[in-house]
Amino acid sequence: MQVLFFAHLKEVTGCAQAELSCGEVDARGLWEALLERFPQLAPYRSMVRLTCNAHYATSETRFGPSDEVALIPPVSGG
Amino acid sequence: MQIEVQLTNARLEDLPPARPPRGATGAWVEFRGLIRDTEAGQPIVGLEYEAYERMARSEMERLLTELAREYPCQAVQVLHRTGLIPVGEAAIIVRIAAVHRHEAFALLTRFMDRLKEDVPIWKCRARVADTCFVSTGIGPTSLVNDSLQT
Repeated sequence: MQVLFFAHLKEVTGCAQAELSCGEVDARGLWEALLERFPQLAPYRSMVRLTCNAHYATSETRFGPSDEVALIPPVSGG
Repeated sequence: MQIEVQLTNARLEDLPPARPPRGATGAWVEFRGLIRDTEAGQPIVGLEYEAYERMARSEMERLLTELAREYPCQAVQVLHRTGLIPVGEAAIIVRIAAVHRHEAFALLTRFMDRLKEDVPIWKCRARVADTCFVSTGIGPTSLVNDSLQT
């Protein structure tokens, strides 16, 4: 799946996007895969919301290999 | 309710403004959110905004559709700028047409509150003369060298 990083998370991970190899997973499984690849994200986990195909994820959301996932740190538009 | 949402790198003040509808329209409200000259207590010359554009646009449309059920208005135009925005220029312009002022002001207030909670747009850097500092809203503000050009 394609994972997008925004704001300071681009500096934390060193990239704006990454290809993550994993099967269909829930949010916990996704975070396990993310932290295996980017352990430096751990301190931000509680502040970050996940999206799947440009919609905020819920506890029911499953993330698949063809999905676009984004990590959304606290927003500050306007 | 007619909804128009735009995200752009262009100067919002230069874009052709929406015109208020005629007929039943009794209120035409325009809000401009401007870049202040300080950020996190430091004098700045500009702020850099970043957006997850695809989602920011759809979230703003979703929010406006949801809020219109409670505050029925006739039309809303939202323009949000991204990239480096100099002090004094608009980061956002919202224009609302309604039959009465109450629902127009209420919609504006609720929309701006929800925008700052849910729409994936970030003030990611503040320009301080020749350097930038990161302003993330998380943790301490850190000074970094940056080669951004105005």
